[in-house]
Amino acid sequence: MGGSVGTDVNGSDVLSALKLAQQAPAILGHGTAPSINIPAKVSRDTVEEYSRLEQLFLACLQTGDDKSAQECLDRLSQRFGPANERVMGLRGLYQEATAKDTAALDKCLAEYEKILSETPVNVPVMKRRIALLRSLQRPTDAIAALIQLLDAVPTDAEAWVELADLYQSQGLGSQAIFSMEEALLIAPNSWNIHARLGELLYVCSSSSEGDAGRLAGKSVQHFCRSIELCDDYLRGYYGLAMAASHVLENKYAPESSADPAVPSRRTIEQLKDLALRRLDHLVQSRSVDDQHWASSRGELIAAKELLNRYSAVNSAVK
Amino acid sequence: MAAQGVEQTILRDPALFYWILFPISVVMILTGILRHYATVLMNTPPKPASTLAESRERHALLRGVNLRNHGCAVLDREAFEARRNYLVNGFRTGAFLKDPNNRGQPPANPMTDPAGMEAMMGMLKGNMMMMIPQTLIMSWINAFFSGFVILKLPFPLTIRFKSMLQSGVMTRDLDVQWVSSLSWYFLNLMGLQSIFGFILGSDNAANQMAQQMGMANPAAMMNPMQPGQDPDKLFLAEAENLEVMEHFSILNGIEERVLRNFAPEVN
Repeated sequence: MGGSVGTDVNGSDVLSALKLAQQAPAILGHGTAPSINIPAKVSRDTVEEYSRLEQLFLACLQTGDDKSAQECLDRLSQRFGPANERVMGLRGLYQEATAKDTAALDKCLAEYEKILSETPVNVPVMKRRIALLRSLQRPTDAIAALIQLLDAVPTDAEAWVELADLYQSQGLGSQAIFSMEEALLIAPNSWNIHARLGELLYVCSSSSEGDAGRLAGKSVQHFCRSIELCDDYLRGYYGLAMAASHVLENKYAPESSADPAVPSRRTIEQLKDLALRRLDHLVQSRSVDDQHWASSRGELIAAKELLNRYSAVNSAVK
Repeated sequence: MAAQGVEQTILRDPALFYWILFPISVVMILTGILRHYATVLMNTPPKPASTLAESRERHALLRGVNLRNHGCAVLDREAFEARRNYLVNGFRTGAFLKDPNNRGQPPANPMTDPAGMEAMMGMLKGNMMMMIPQTLIMSWINAFFSGFVILKLPFPLTIRFKSMLQSGVMTRDLDVQWVSSLSWYFLNLMGLQSIFGFILGSDNAANQMAQQMGMANPAAMMNPMQPGQDPDKLFLAEAENLEVMEHFSILNGIEERVLRNFAPEVN
């Protein structure tokens, strides 16, 4: 999630990463400080400065500017020492990113295992190892390693989300849902994880037979919670519209319910209408200042398509 | 007793100001700065868990707390019950302990336990940093400057302040406004905090910085257990907390709630 810094890099947001990476020479201070060995300024020895450097490192790797990335890494390890866990993780990332072939990646993996045999609780390196296993197409190993990590550090929301993602990629829906719920227990107010859990439930409910109705109902609930927490979250409304129409199509909701916990068919219909209306509103307002929402253009296009589909259905009915 | 309404006057050599008041203040400020940097230098960050089992022991309790606090916002009844049973069972059987075999035995003596020893060394170092300079400076002041009246406060005070402002001067009749050199030292000791804040930046900025960057995620480094505390007892207490908890879910009826909250502003 983006912070207030403005130059924050969102993992999936390539555009802002590119923008940040282009500023690399200015931030690293070429011209003012020609040699790497001279730290930029002593007065800038603050936490913000170094987390900014770390972000710059990631952005440079993402955009292929390996030289600047190397320089960032050098500075970080100069300040915190090469034995710092976080710096070790970053160095591993650099080696992975600059690896030429699978053999080089295998070498990285061997190196991680060597580090972990010396210091078993080195969380950044453990995470790098898991990510590497995943990109080497060994998801079962990655899941095993991740379970080991979570057994030791069960309060790491990021790891739980990753585990859910891995489970889902293996088609293990209920395990994925469990992991996502664990992540939510750690960060109960993150609307994006609520929406993600809703998506998982939605996918499960459309593929499984047994209690598809219950899963679909829970999916609607989590999307509702997501938009309750953030009332212009496009993904939440999109999911709500999808989940609600899924419930309606399969007639999971009773016509009128005695139990207040189970919503009636009419409520779900209203929810779907609400979601579609808000989506329409969001799409229109965001299409106007296109630049500001440039990073989420894909979501916007998907939302437009959904709206078109429903309006086509509606006009066909009429 | 001093006569009421009559201003006491003591003729002070102006050299008292230059050679006592001023040096004491300067020395106090300098030692404060020195102490700050010495603490930064000697400060050891909390030791991270060295094995996976130890790390689990540290975090298991948090998991129970999270479930209690956030369960209502996320889970439905079934999921909650499953987790509760798992955690209560784990806490009860000691599955989360570092070494379940040592369960029930009295906690290791902190003097022999190396981890406890380290924590105590840390505390000791912190206390030494406070104690040693204070004793040194106080004896220095006592040896050179005791018995001087160096300052007159510009405002009247009640008799209660006499022991605070005139330590080292055994004069019963002296007005409370007069401040002795030893008291000036104490006033500096207590009152210089804001000046250190001004000189060193908001307190101990350099100190915390190294720690923050050191940790990959803050949760991984944090140790909720104090040294010498028995994790088993904490776990059992947490198991009890979990068992008596009544589950409700804010997701029940959320559909109507959302409709009610959002419908007016859309229409």
